Amino acid sequence: MHAIQQQLFAVREYLSPVLKESKFKEHGRITPEEFVAAGDFLAYKFPVWTWEKGEASKARDYLPADKQYLVTRGVPCLRRATALAYTDADEDGERLLSFGDSLASGDEKDEWVETHTGRAAAHHDSLANAGEIADIPDLEGLNIQDGDADGPGEIPDMDDIPDMEEEVDEEDEATASKPAPQVEVAKDNLLQVRTYDVMITYDKYYQTPRIWLLGYDENRTPLAPPQIFQDVSADHALKTVTIEAFPHSSSLQAASVHPCKHASVMKKVIERMNSSVVAEQLAQQKKDGKKKWFGRKSGGKDGKDAQGEEEEVEGMRVDFYLVVFLKFIASIVPTIEVDSTTSF
Amino acid sequence: MPIVQFAPHSSLVNPSFWHKLTEHKLDVLKLSDAEVPVVASYGTGRLIKDREGGAFIGVNGTFGVDEESFTEGPKPASFLVPANGVLKNYNTIEEFKAADKPELFNQSAEKIWQSILTTKSTKDLNSFLVITFADLKKYKYYYWFAFPAFSPSPPWNISESGWVPASSVGLTAAQLETIHTALAQQVPALPYFLIRGSTIHPIEQWTDEDATSAIVAFIDPSTQPQNPGWPLRNLLTFLRTIHPNSTQSVRVLCWRDTQIPRDGAWKSIYGVVSAGDAEAAAATRPKAVGWELNIKGKAGARLADLAPMMDPARLANQAV
Repeated sequence: MHAIQQQLFAVREYLSPVLKESKFKEHGRITPEEFVAAGDFLAYKFPVWTWEKGEASKARDYLPADKQYLVTRGVPCLRRATALAYTDADEDGERLLSFGDSLASGDEKDEWVETHTGRAAAHHDSLANAGEIADIPDLEGLNIQDGDADGPGEIPDMDDIPDMEEEVDEEDEATASKPAPQVEVAKDNLLQVRTYDVMITYDKYYQTPRIWLLGYDENRTPLAPPQIFQDVSADHALKTVTIEAFPHSSSLQAASVHPCKHASVMKKVIERMNSSVVAEQLAQQKKDGKKKWFGRKSGGKDGKDAQGEEEEVEGMRVDFYLVVFLKFIASIVPTIEVDSTTSF
Repeated sequence: MPIVQFAPHSSLVNPSFWHKLTEHKLDVLKLSDAEVPVVASYGTGRLIKDREGGAFIGVNGTFGVDEESFTEGPKPASFLVPANGVLKNYNTIEEFKAADKPELFNQSAEKIWQSILTTKSTKDLNSFLVITFADLKKYKYYYWFAFPAFSPSPPWNISESGWVPASSVGLTAAQLETIHTALAQQVPALPYFLIRGSTIHPIEQWTDEDATSAIVAFIDPSTQPQNPGWPLRNLLTFLRTIHPNSTQSVRVLCWRDTQIPRDGAWKSIYGVVSAGDAEAAAATRPKAVGWELNIKGKAGARLADLAPMMDPARLANQAV
């Protein structure tokens, strides 16, 4: 059944036309060209993201051959989303977020206030609710906490590993031993740092980016699906986050956030951001005409250059789309630090 | 003076590597267990601020292989060091268990040693060995990495002040930024380099005059404050073997910054290490160590069980 469904999705994606005109402000969807532009911007601003070409046989012809999808490796995940502790003390936790200062040019002042800094899951909940992601039919009878949906054999049985410990005798005083866990979480719970490889592909059917996750535990053993779902907020695990075939590989399976609601959520976020960006640009123009970094014209596309700046403001540029997208994804996987805009 | 303790490499095998190995085994290797060249990569680790406790958590950089490892290797990027290695895949679990691992390891170490003596270049210093057994029907992959590193006797010592932040020992922010900019332009990254003032040079250009002024540096995957990463071991052996007269004491910078820090807090660390005995560093090969530990913290093989992610029956079960 699942296999048939995946085939169907593949055909559907194949048949759907490539989005040609820019619609990102109207309904949150982007064209492949805009995906590439936004990806270039992301990779430039945050070099942890790089373009990949994927398998040649799986390349999408509407994307450049060497820019098929974006990837960042080794994204840390300190805690399980299921273990996120919310306290009242978080209510006052506000901090200023500053974007773009990794450029070190010193004059950026794009600061946002992040509230509830301790409550990672909560600080974008209005965005998530706006998209009503939870309206996908609830699936009863799946308890992800104990992973019984998949049976008990999920954790590799260590007795299967051939015992060869006595064969290699390496006493070496100059080898550092494995560091003790650096932080102890309350209730004698040791911090288990997982890492994720995160990929962003372009979904032609939904005309939005789509996020994929490959996880490893602290011993760098690949995570099984029930373990990955521990890092997904409870609202989304097994509903919008599922394990599917990664589109740029013939055999790889990865966890993915289903993109059916991405466009409407992104539209809401973009609308909100755009109005503030426009207001800021207007104020900026009155003052000294200096452009903000994400309102900056790169020239060419609309034929206007910096001289036309007093005529009209452009609002948020599509380049910024993926940065916003990552903030939205961060609400779904609150403990995976995908949102590199705050972690540096 | 305390002994320098090095943080070992940590292997990270992307599942795509196992997919490629499966293909390679079925289409090319078949029943052969000949050695296959593979390319891995490592980079700097990450320090992340814990959002609950506020403490900084170090996540060491990993020694990674993926689907590209069988072909041209990982995509070149700045601060990402490629490393050449050898993969040996066995046909049965019995052969895997019975393999003469000390001998395989010895061959790898000897190769590194010979490259130091003959080519006097650093290109093989980070080479590695991985032995595998692929249980294709059960989607289980047994593997064991070895990162041969020389362990001279007596070992290297760190000066009493220990490892300190690079910015606290006279390296100015401007200098570090210049070095960072130069490093960022190196694609693929230079694994080891020589800092004279604020310019970087290939480590092979070390001369005896550098003993008093220059700094030896390397891309460091470790994030632990008092433990430099594994690549430094062979680098020190290299310098000690080729330039025995000027490397009694070496100034070392462990490069850990991929971005210029916004708050001026550079993560790279600096230390002065010294060799115990100048005479002992002659042409005999030091002992080598480097089998990776398993998840129980002992020398042993690891297991990647991909059945949950690959087995069609289990996937169908999970996707409701």
